[in-house]
Amino acid sequence: MTTATVRTGTRPVFWVALGLLAVVLLALPLILRSDSRLNIAILVLVYAALAQAWNLLGGFAGQISLGNAAFFGLGAYTSTILFSRWEVTPWLGMLGGALVAAVFAVIIGYPVFRLGGHYFAIATIAMAEIVLTVFNDWEFVGGAVGLLIPFARVDGRPADSWYYLQFNQHKEPYYYIALALVVLVTAVTIGVSRSKVGYYLRAIKNDQQAARALGVHVLRYKLIAIALSAAFSAIVGTFYAQYLLYIDPETTMRLELSVLIALVAILGGVGTVAGPLIGAAVLIPAAELTRSQLGGTGNAVDLILYGGLIILISIFQPNGLMGLVERVRRRGRGRPLTPPSDEEALAREEAPLLGTYEEERG
Amino acid sequence: MALLEVDGVTKQFDGLVANQDVSFHVEEGEIVGLIGPNGAGKTTLFNCISGFFPPTRGTIRLDGTDITGWAPERVVHQGLARTFQVVRTFPDLTVRENVMIGAFARTNSTAQARRIADELIAFTGLASRADVLGANLTIADKKRVELTRALATGPRLLMLDEVMAGLTPTERVQAVELIRAIRERGVTVLLVEHVMEVVMPISHRVIVLDSGRKIAEGPPAAIVENPEVIAAYLGEKYRPQRTGED
Repeated sequence: MTTATVRTGTRPVFWVALGLLAVVLLALPLILRSDSRLNIAILVLVYAALAQAWNLLGGFAGQISLGNAAFFGLGAYTSTILFSRWEVTPWLGMLGGALVAAVFAVIIGYPVFRLGGHYFAIATIAMAEIVLTVFNDWEFVGGAVGLLIPFARVDGRPADSWYYLQFNQHKEPYYYIALALVVLVTAVTIGVSRSKVGYYLRAIKNDQQAARALGVHVLRYKLIAIALSAAFSAIVGTFYAQYLLYIDPETTMRLELSVLIALVAILGGVGTVAGPLIGAAVLIPAAELTRSQLGGTGNAVDLILYGGLIILISIFQPNGLMGLVERVRRRGRGRPLTPPSDEEALAREEAPLLGTYEEERG
Repeated sequence: MALLEVDGVTKQFDGLVANQDVSFHVEEGEIVGLIGPNGAGKTTLFNCISGFFPPTRGTIRLDGTDITGWAPERVVHQGLARTFQVVRTFPDLTVRENVMIGAFARTNSTAQARRIADELIAFTGLASRADVLGANLTIADKKRVELTRALATGPRLLMLDEVMAGLTPTERVQAVELIRAIRERGVTVLLVEHVMEVVMPISHRVIVLDSGRKIAEGPPAAIVENPEVIAAYLGEKYRPQRTGED
């Protein structure tokens, strides 16, 4: 029996589900009706966008970064400095931050991409730690104390302003902006995955030497991936700065943040468009709820439960939560859920030598 | 002017000389066989020509352009594509997607790449496998995918590294037919093989390597009679009497 994995076309059911999801997401602030619950929803969207941006580099190109917080932080700092010193609107600051992060990523990526395998991940940790240290000691950007973002004021009172991207009275616009960012990064991801760049990145993830033999300029495409990943992480960074109205190196650049971004994408399902979104929707509320319900007791029960959830997903869904979705989709069609084990692959390769290979000419 | 000119290529790895002053050429439209026993330096020479190793000395010209030391991806865009002896099919990509990666060397359009891939998949007999993942293919199909996607880059010279190894006799016959059909499409073929028998029937010319040196070159009929070649393959003991006596 030959096993075949056939790509299923997009069916009407998918579009109906997507429409329902859109309605629910748009109506969510009305349903939640509390700032603390809205806060969790906004955090879910922030991590979904960050994980999706990570996915372009880690998921498609297979370059595992544990330093994406540096790009996030650069975005937050660029727009904040432009705004607090020169009153540049954060919307422009957002683009400025994206540019700064992308250029920085390319400068870092150029030497670092020559490192193979695990060394790339280690180098990204070092890169982010260096950026963190520099910002901690740099007076111009506020050092370890951080920066306060001045309130947008009308008649001397803090006010809501789309121009200044600040909503001090009602938080709902933050939710919708975050949602728009997730849609934007996801749309870009879908666009990339269907383009030459997306195909090349998947080839690079699979086998760099084979990709080169087919004319793929491996370094160039990795640089495109890291620049895109950095730019979108930075855009989310600007949003986050405007949401908190205060930034310091610890909140925006710490290693823990880089790890969480990677974790959300990996546990959701790398290299798929929906994976990072599902990962954020499951992991972030789990983290926030366990902390608000069980945190503060001093015995870290919340962290134990949260860690336990991560271990369970790793054991039962090594392909991430998207593996679960695939399982439901393929149920009853007799298709393999996981790639064949080494033994199976070997048996399959040896089959033709034993003469059981069925002839097939198109 | 020859399509491929290899001139005095030497490749050393530290103390080891893998290729010693190898020169040969391939004319447009030919099928040329490059053979030699294990360890003769065939794959090293192959890697030097396709840009995976820079040669220590010597020059390689493709259609008059000096491509010595060029990166492999640049060599591909100059019109030279290769396959690997140990198959390197992209396991997470379908057969069609594997071939599309090659086709993207010629186009930036996904739709165009898909058209090129589908046409070539039909040509090499993989149409029924188009949506199967690389990881789930038999070794024979993986080799066919390697060849198809190399062809998708639109090469003028296709270099095949032991495409016949590991195939059943029936599959070998099919592979030979396919290589002839590829030449009919106007692609020149340089065939590296360990097993002599598979190269002889389809090659116009055969080049023999032994211990890193070229020991013979000529039409297949002359090569099988060549005492040096027989000695290289079978050992000194079997060298024909007239050259071995004294």
